[in-house]
Amino acid sequence: MAETRTKPTRRSILSGAAGGAVLLAAPPILGKAKSPYAGTTIRGAAFSLPFHQYLRQYFPEFEEKTGIKVAFDIEAFPVYNQRMDLELSTGGSSYDVIIVTFIYQGRWIGAGWVTDLDRFTKNPEDTPPDWDPADFIPGVEASMRDAKGHTYAYGVEAGAMLLYAARGDLIEKAGLALPTTMDELIRVCEAVNGKEGVAAWTADSLHHWNWPPYLMGMGGGIFKDPPKDLTPMLDTPVAAQAAEWYANLLMTYGPPGILSYTDDQALHSQLSGRANMRTNAITWGLPLAKNPSSTVKHTVRYGMVPAGPKGDFPGVACHGFGIPKGSRKKGAAWEFIKWALSKEMLTRLVKEHGYPSVCRRSVIESEPFKQALTLNGQDVAALYLKVLDQLGDGAYMRYRTVPVFPEVGDAINRAISAIATKQMTATAALKQAQAQAVEAIEMAGYKISR
Amino acid sequence: MTVTLSSARRALRWRDASLTRQRRRFLVLCLAPALAVLMVVTLAPIVSLVVTSFTPLTLTNPTTAWNFREPLLNYRLLAADERFRNSLWVQAQLSFWTVGLQLAIGIGFALLLNLRSGLVQAVRTAFLVPMVLPPIVVAIIWKVLYTPDISPAYWLFKALGWSVPVLITSPHWALAAIVIADTWEWFPLTMLMVLAALQTVPEELIDAARIDGARAWQTTFYVVLPYIRGTLMVAGLFRLIDSIKAFPLIYLLTAGGPGSVTEVTNYYAFEQAFNFSYLGFSSAITVVLVLVTLILSWLVVRLTGWGTLE
Repeated sequence: MAETRTKPTRRSILSGAAGGAVLLAAPPILGKAKSPYAGTTIRGAAFSLPFHQYLRQYFPEFEEKTGIKVAFDIEAFPVYNQRMDLELSTGGSSYDVIIVTFIYQGRWIGAGWVTDLDRFTKNPEDTPPDWDPADFIPGVEASMRDAKGHTYAYGVEAGAMLLYAARGDLIEKAGLALPTTMDELIRVCEAVNGKEGVAAWTADSLHHWNWPPYLMGMGGGIFKDPPKDLTPMLDTPVAAQAAEWYANLLMTYGPPGILSYTDDQALHSQLSGRANMRTNAITWGLPLAKNPSSTVKHTVRYGMVPAGPKGDFPGVACHGFGIPKGSRKKGAAWEFIKWALSKEMLTRLVKEHGYPSVCRRSVIESEPFKQALTLNGQDVAALYLKVLDQLGDGAYMRYRTVPVFPEVGDAINRAISAIATKQMTATAALKQAQAQAVEAIEMAGYKISR
Repeated sequence: MTVTLSSARRALRWRDASLTRQRRRFLVLCLAPALAVLMVVTLAPIVSLVVTSFTPLTLTNPTTAWNFREPLLNYRLLAADERFRNSLWVQAQLSFWTVGLQLAIGIGFALLLNLRSGLVQAVRTAFLVPMVLPPIVVAIIWKVLYTPDISPAYWLFKALGWSVPVLITSPHWALAAIVIADTWEWFPLTMLMVLAALQTVPEELIDAARIDGARAWQTTFYVVLPYIRGTLMVAGLFRLIDSIKAFPLIYLLTAGGPGSVTEVTNYYAFEQAFNFSYLGFSSAITVVLVLVTLILSWLVVRLTGWGTLE
């Protein structure tokens, strides 16, 4: 039988092609309900944080759920800040989700480089009510809001500062307890320094983060009344006294070479049991009890930052997820932030990885968080919450988020370093730092009151 | 007749001049595309740098990009900036010691390698290793060596009962630590250049000196080194210019500290631009640095008579 074939007409070809195109597009349309941004790829950038190490393991779930692909660039802290500063200043669209670094929050938000997230949180179509933005600790969020109260980032990490004694057993052997005041700290250092080859103190060289709690404890401050009055207060007698005290702590009780220590080096000096006490964000204290390579798992003790005569002012650095102004995929970026910082995801990070720096109160007060932060028998979750509550509206940490802080912080770093190495007296070094700070503040266009 | 001759000569001269003009125009036209590319690639960024140095450009305020209301403001600030003056002084010390040591050690090793002994030939390649390593790797190697916790050198010192200061955190030794690392990294370059030059020294010159009774050191100082003076100049100049660009070692080892002991001018410019976003001020620092480098290079060339040698 002869097979009869009809010649394909132009119409049949066109209708076939249209049908094919519909079929190709069908999976996102006909499949299970995905985000309207399915098929989009968002690019993120962050500095190296444990949060990202944990979160990226769940990216496939997010991609499966929403159809949005995620690609993240992770860089070292200083490199990230420099690159992001340049990227944001040019209004670039390379990134859709970024970490809004604590010390750059005033600068990036003030310059209008980051997107106001209220447009998402106040629209029920974008954000369901149970996402609950008010659940983020107010003190943590304070630096990520502008003067009108608009929010530009949501907290990823609240680096609440605590005291960690890697060799708490040495302190107990000396008949002492964890120090709660600056005077006690020196007494404890004196008693345990060099015992069993362990230096009493350790720290990284970011003095403008480590020193201010002690400066404020003695009654001093970095600025007169930030962010309203940015007159530096570095040339005051109390600042000189606090700087000398801190430089002495580093040089008398720290290991050799402490002034060149990075965060990692300071952590390893504790993990290996070569140094005892340190005050820093909770992220740096957790590995002492949980890291498999820690030699101090059973001797580590946790406490509050030692208070000065004027009170205790533990540092809290809050980094948040934000969306650059230049991003062309803001909707998809918000989908990602919403997922990453949901109560469910944060609870999973706590349960499955013991993530300690959560910024949501409901998660911090939950049983899984308490269990994860019961370290060597101590309720560290309670200490963490105490620091965040003490932060209140974040007033005492405002010094850190003013736009000129990077310059002033640099002047502080150099001054402490010069005092510790006896290149200058505390008074002279801080007088120089004050002059540099005034110059930087005036150069940035701010008025100072004296 | 005289009139005819002179007018003929004038006509010839005019024709020659016209030909020369045409040839010159032709050469200029041929070179124009290459010159245009060169201008864009090389000169445009420098012009942009100089122009930026006349503005208070800061990334947080885009309106400062074309603000020429006070064009000399950055330069006035620089003149009064103690930290900038200190950075120039640190730079001068660093350049002096690194160039001097690299030349001295480079010449020494080149003379040794020129002996053509089997052993020396065998280890020649090993000397080149530091130079071919990426600068960041060199910085990491020295960071390890200078950090007491993890440094094999410090373990040895401890075992021997020696108390050695931590070089990178000591105000007295931090710059020396950078000089040592930089010299280790770059002496092979001078060594290589000098070695190549030594191999061009005519044997007759050395033989003549020997016949005249010159000792080995006299031959080296009075015959060989003057003969390769040009190469030494180039090597010194290269290293001088490179020493002004020293950055990775300082960034990784000391970050300009302790205090400002190792803060050289380009590190200061980097801080102003990339940590604080003051691009205008940083450009002014860089312009001054470029000028200083040009003047230094010119001075070195003039003082040593390079370029006037046969």
